[in-house]
Amino acid sequence: MEDIKKAILDFAETSKKTKFYFNDMEKAVKKVMPDIKAREIKKAATALVNEEKLVFFSTGSTTMYGMKGRGQTEDH
Amino acid sequence: MAFEPREPQKELKYQDLRIYSDQELKNYTEEELKNFKIKHKTPMCDELEKGPWPSFVADTKREALHRKKLSGDRLMVNSDVAEDLLGQLERSFKDGETHWKHGGIVGVFGYGGGVIGRYSDSPEEYPSIAHFHTLRVNQPASKFYSSDYLRSICDLWEYRGSGLMNLHGSTGDIIFLGTTTEQLEPIFYELGHVLQQDLGGSGSNLRTPSCCIGRARCEWSCYDTQAMCYELTHYYQDELHRPAFPYKFKFKFDGCPNCCVASIARADMSFIGTWRDNIRIDQDAVKAYVEGDIAPNAGAHAGKDWGKFDIQKEVIDLCPTRCMWMEDGKLMIDDKECTRCMHCINVMPRALRPGADTGVSILFGAKAPILEGAQMSLLTIPFMKVEHPYDNVKAIVDKCWDWWMEEGKNRERLGELIQRYGVPKFLEIMELPPMPQMVREPRSNPYIFWKEEDVPGGFTRSIDDYRKRHKR
Ligand code: SF4
Ligand code: SF4
Repeated sequence: MEDIKKAILDFAETSKKTKFYFNDMEKAVKKVMPDIKAREIKKAATALVNEEKLVFFSTGSTTMYGMKGRGQTEDH
Repeated sequence: MAFEPREPQKELKYQDLRIYSDQELKNYTEEELKNFKIKHKTPMCDELEKGPWPSFVADTKREALHRKKLSGDRLMVNSDVAEDLLGQLERSFKDGETHWKHGGIVGVFGYGGGVIGRYSDSPEEYPSIAHFHTLRVNQPASKFYSSDYLRSICDLWEYRGSGLMNLHGSTGDIIFLGTTTEQLEPIFYELGHVLQQDLGGSGSNLRTPSCCIGRARCEWSCYDTQAMCYELTHYYQDELHRPAFPYKFKFKFDGCPNCCVASIARADMSFIGTWRDNIRIDQDAVKAYVEGDIAPNAGAHAGKDWGKFDIQKEVIDLCPTRCMWMEDGKLMIDDKECTRCMHCINVMPRALRPGADTGVSILFGAKAPILEGAQMSLLTIPFMKVEHPYDNVKAIVDKCWDWWMEEGKNRERLGELIQRYGVPKFLEIMELPPMPQMVREPRSNPYIFWKEEDVPGGFTRSIDDYRKRHKR
């Protein structure tokens, strides 16, 4: 779990876009850890949201993830 | 494994939960309403108050007056929020473009859905709707509420939100329209811990599952739509609240092919009740319909004189598969040709009933027109028995999600993925053999291609043996 979290954060810190789809995050993690299942990545991402390191960005129809404090903030 | 609630539900009593007194709830007269003017000029919105039908503009003005007369410490969101809302709407009508900024990071702790950020792009003119976030409240199966419950959530939303709501959004949820970021967590707490009420889905989640009224009131329901909706809602809590899908995903449950929640047109996975034995016929009642003793269509459409009921014209000739006829005064049905369209049953409900061996048809991939046009769902599993806790259904859901999560592009609905890969690939993933009932457009596209490994001897086998039996 901890190494998945680390891979997610590495991606979130360095990704070109400040908001990204789950899919893109999944691909980035799988590059480092090819055998990991999508559900495991999701669990790690949820844990990071609960630790307030990642945030959800939602338009209502789609949801993306972002790194807390990077790019858009809560109050625009 | 079935869902078990951690503790039994408590009965809600408005008397214990209410925020406002009766005087506060009825705090203006109709006379005052007539003379009331909101702070913005809204001539175009006012047009929408004309005519005999209900008007959201009239409702919003009532709410504006009601809030204006409540004292400030009785509201956590500005009292003129409804007035600014109409003001901005008027401006949008004038400009021909929206003044909402769409989307944001707002949410409640641990949830990736259920809250949708909305901000005005003109907060100087309309300060009370600078934040105007929406919450989705997961409706109970078939939307049965007690008045104690409805009164309690209305009070909560008056106090912590704009007081404006929408029953119901197209997925079925109660939509709370407009609150500020600070109010989100308190509302979430009150809903969850006091009113025992969860938020619904939004974003790239499983959306709030919804079902028709089913066995609670409808004799045609071929399975318990409410039980299945409830079980799957709880079983897939993680998918509902923590988004990891390429896009949205909807389950909808219709008890019969009348499709009252329109699952066939709107759900990525539609469950439609059906039967595999024969339509049950009461010949005496058929006769009573023919002789005019029972009104057809259960008395509906009676506002006009349609003349005497004509079973040939109104039922038999309208059967889409022409599988009905009269013989010696009796109505006959060739059930293996019946497509379960429900027409004859709808017209003569006392004479005809769905069969007794019931279950569901499962269809995949309906969606609205954004990419590639609107799409109805594809009949994939013609018949399946369903019983609580629906383990056979869950196994199918999991298989389908595994594929879509792996192969789906960002913002690609399941229906589009099936389109991109083709139905044969989808069937292979679902481990289902093709069969005549499941082709996309029945009787116009029967092609399912063979794969080499499915053909005995492969594509290069010698045909000498065949030629021995079939001359050229
Ligand atoms: S879909 Fe069928 S079972 Fe459900 S409420 Fe409508 S008519 Fe009744
Ligand atoms: S349900 Fe529809 S297809 Fe079946 S017999 Fe009645 S009218 Fe014909």
